Amino acid sequence: MRPDDGYRLLVQGVRDYAIFMLDPTGLITSWNAGARLIKGYREEEILGQHFSVFYPAEDIADRKPERELEQAITQGRVEDEGWRVRKDGTRFWANVVITALFDGAGELRGFGKVTRDMTERRAAEEALRASEERFRLLVHGVLDYGIFMLDPGGHIISWNDGAQRIKGYSEEEILGQHFSVFYPAEDIADRKPERELEQAVAEGRLEDEGWRVRKDGTRFWANVVITALFDDTGELRGFGKVTRDMTERRAAEQALSERRRLLNHLVEAQELERRRIAWDVHDDSIQAMVAVGMRLQLLESRLPDEHRPVVHLLEESVRASVGRLRNLVVHLRPTTIDQHGLVPALAGYLQDVVAGWDLDTDLSADLAQEPPLPIAITIFRICQEALTNVRKHAQATHVEITLNSKDGGTLTRVSDNGVGFPDPLPDNSYQQFGLLEMRERAETAGGWWSATSSPDTGTTVQFWLPTAPAQESR
Amino acid sequence: MTDQLRVLVADDDPMLRMALSEVLEAEVDLHVVATAEDAEEAVDLAERHGPDVAVLDVRMPGGGATHATREIRTRSPRTQLLAFSAYDDSGTAEELKRLGVREFLVKGITNAEIVAAVRRAGAAVDV
Repeated sequence: MRPDDGYRLLVQGVRDYAIFMLDPTGLITSWNAGARLIKGYREEEILGQHFSVFYPAEDIADRKPERELEQAITQGRVEDEGWRVRKDGTRFWANVVITALFDGAGELRGFGKVTRDMTERRAAEEALRASEERFRLLVHGVLDYGIFMLDPGGHIISWNDGAQRIKGYSEEEILGQHFSVFYPAEDIADRKPERELEQAVAEGRLEDEGWRVRKDGTRFWANVVITALFDDTGELRGFGKVTRDMTERRAAEQALSERRRLLNHLVEAQELERRRIAWDVHDDSIQAMVAVGMRLQLLESRLPDEHRPVVHLLEESVRASVGRLRNLVVHLRPTTIDQHGLVPALAGYLQDVVAGWDLDTDLSADLAQEPPLPIAITIFRICQEALTNVRKHAQATHVEITLNSKDGGTLTRVSDNGVGFPDPLPDNSYQQFGLLEMRERAETAGGWWSATSSPDTGTTVQFWLPTAPAQESR
Repeated sequence: MTDQLRVLVADDDPMLRMALSEVLEAEVDLHVVATAEDAEEAVDLAERHGPDVAVLDVRMPGGGATHATREIRTRSPRTQLLAFSAYDDSGTAEELKRLGVREFLVKGITNAEIVAAVRRAGAAVDV
């Protein structure tokens, strides 16, 4: 096979490109498989036709085919992208290269034409462009975040509406400036801006929270993420920077944390006071009453029969008072909780107090560890409140309390088989049923609380408290 | 007099200590050999007198009934122990019973119940 035959076979077999020849006047003199696939004509029907059949009518009216040949002659070749027409009249987006072919004497012998169907690639490029445009509009329009770009040296090269809103600079006045203008003087002296870029380069990204400076010199508390942007070859092309104004959130967090701290103090002080009263009653009043009761019994046994009933009544009422004082102590402060922990304290409360309410109780606990005392007391108090509700409102015969370790804390459930909340709930139900107090106790301790109720299944109060008491944030 | 039960009373509250002593002394078969104001004294007196029965206040200075029980168990092993508490504390009751206390009496029970408990404890003494 001669080399020319080889080229001919190659050209004829190529399917991705239409490759064909024109004579000097533009008539088609050869055709290949790719041309048939792309344009739809068989070789025998296209040979001898003028190549302008591939052009849309408006291009023909505009003499575009002739102009392209003229241009190919003067410049050796011409490249064009545009719409072309298939045999069936549909269009495709084509990349076309026309090369003028001269013989050794410099005479024009014809043209080589290579056409590629770019329709799909063009669609993909269009889609990408549209998506980039949408993305650009999105970034530009976002108001809650300052989103902008830095060049590798830290100079601002793009800006969005959010950045303008947060920092106060317009795009024209900030572009080209170094991003350290947003940092307080002490941070600049400390080279913080540079260090943040270095860290972003080293680790890909960096997140920071701290004070930043607005154009008017006032400060705002910012959450900042800097992302280093590398191209395909791994070269640093710049940084993307996203800034959020956290001032309001920070203030809200601080207010919440301050409120929690105060409530914690209040609860602690209250518990301390209750504990003091409980022990006073326990160590003093109860002892004295018990001694009085014992002496009254002695006295009764020494009296003549006719006087005994009076003293006996007296003695009985003293003993009843001792019982009530003992309940008061348990209610004021579950002294057991200090010595034996939460579950024995609850068990004791159910046995000593709740059992007297004609309520059948069931306590089950599966705790990985004893909660810290303040949490244990909060759990105890909420259970106490929930049980009091059951007694007052539920008309229940059975209460079930379960405690489980869950999510790094303790999940407690108090379920009764009573009538549920009234439907609809009265307006003041939260106060009426002490629901607010329970919820506040739980939330103060950094947990959550909820109550569900239906007439069929009774009421379930459930709450979760973290093992560690509420952390005071920043 | 030799068949009387010899009892030690330990309570930091003087009124209770006296009332309890009187209640027990009123019984011909019971005799209070000593009274203690705190756990340490209770241990000393138990060691000195070797009583048949000791009635210990759960919450008294010097370590309470818990400490007194541990010590008396070794220093006067024959002494039978009763705990006397102002409130019903199942946790402490369990602990004391584990340490060797026979019964956990809640203050406010009748004198007759106290006396009966002391007699039951006395009956368990190895002669």
